Amino acid sequence: MNRLATLPAVALAVGVTAAPLLFLLRVSLYESGGPRGFYTPDTVTLSHYAALAEAPILFTVAFALAVAVASTLFGLALAAFVESLTPGRQWLAIGLLLAPKLAGALTTVFGLQRLLPRGTVAALIAEVTFVLPYAVLVIALRLRGIPPDLRSAARGLGATRRHVFRRVTLPLAAPAVLLAFQLSLAWGLGAFVGPLFLAGPGESTLGTQIQSHTAELRWPVAAAEGVLLLLLTAMVFALPRRRGHE
Amino acid sequence: MTTLFRAFGWLILLAGLAPLLMAVWVSFSPDSFLTPPVEAWSLKWYRRFADDSRWTAAAGRSLVVAVLSSGACVGLALLAVVSNRTGNRLLLPPAVLPPVAIGLGLLPALQRVGLWGTLGSVIVVHTAMGLPVAYLLFRSWAGERLAELELAARGLGANRWAVFLRVTLPVLRPAILAAVVVQFVLSWNEALVTVFLTTSKSETLPVVMWSQLRGSASPLVAVAAVVSATAGLVAVAVIARAFRRRG
Repeated sequence: MNRLATLPAVALAVGVTAAPLLFLLRVSLYESGGPRGFYTPDTVTLSHYAALAEAPILFTVAFALAVAVASTLFGLALAAFVESLTPGRQWLAIGLLLAPKLAGALTTVFGLQRLLPRGTVAALIAEVTFVLPYAVLVIALRLRGIPPDLRSAARGLGATRRHVFRRVTLPLAAPAVLLAFQLSLAWGLGAFVGPLFLAGPGESTLGTQIQSHTAELRWPVAAAEGVLLLLLTAMVFALPRRRGHE
Repeated sequence: MTTLFRAFGWLILLAGLAPLLMAVWVSFSPDSFLTPPVEAWSLKWYRRFADDSRWTAAAGRSLVVAVLSSGACVGLALLAVVSNRTGNRLLLPPAVLPPVAIGLGLLPALQRVGLWGTLGSVIVVHTAMGLPVAYLLFRSWAGERLAELELAARGLGANRWAVFLRVTLPVLRPAILAAVVVQFVLSWNEALVTVFLTTSKSETLPVVMWSQLRGSASPLVAVAAVVSATAGLVAVAVIARAFRRRG
């Protein structure tokens, strides 16, 4: 097949990512106000970046770390659980795992609004619900690639199950666990549905700030926060990655 | 230890269903409170939903967007995977960038070209957002095996089209089905970016839900949640059946 056939997909993926990034950068440098209320054309200012000092950076990062730690730990446990099942039950478990994801984020939000009091915990549970399936799948795929012989050999040499998990399974699964952590951290930084609808008053993340500033037609402020969010996300992926043999 | 561990596993997975079950329960409420009905159940809010043109129009738009974007997305991803199997990292950014930043950036970008608020722009954006998922699905399903089979078919004298139709498509068929269904569901439920892209003339089902989730929600939102979720759950059943048949 012609190599050019890949072009439409790449053009679309790059276009739909690059265009918003460029506009985000440009809008973040406009002065606020203006004839249409969104921004003043033909102006350049760094004032919105100076104002970022008051953005909820600490809370956003802490929230993302909590999402990532919870998703990775639960993800590892659930992946090991799924791997330990018979094939028929594995499909049932994966179906159950994906069900909240496929039912839609807003359905989960609506249900959690009825089930839990508003607060950081409810927001955290919502975001972990969204991220967990990916963490489980990333780790489970890796676990599946570990030859069962290694585990039975270790057992044969007298290791307990716990020992096998700590000394054989975990080191071999480490690259996937790290990747799951990075992905959850990146998604946790961008979290805004959970905090927006479920967190208590005054608990805002960069994501919810961006949304509310956009709604208030303060686009340059929102855009500067968006650039900051992108930088934080980029830092997550710049973290050193241990390479597994793929 | 193992029994306890498994019990814990099933418990966590079942707990994930609680919000959905709560939405289903509340949707049968006979009155306008958001408390789940105990004695009297009713379909009143389902009738309201069906009679409310704002909800039905939004659901119709969601359907159009989901059908067209899943078709386009899977077609493009198929082209990409067939033409370049060495891996194409350029397809992946839409999956890892924060949706709120993409949505906010797309807003002025689409306004500049005069496409903001059109359903077409929503379809294009959903298609792009689905590309990484479809592409990764194809790659992980096909692996190296597909390349070897194609090479063997070429060696036996098949031309490119024959290889595509007789080898590539049949090998990828379960993954194609899975990708169509997954993208349909992702698009059907997409709200995070779409809220930035739509107006009252182009709002989709999740966007209307979004606007009702704060403040005075009525059991109508529960009905909308059930309608949203049904598409996803039907999809799980379809995929599970297709994969089980393959073994």
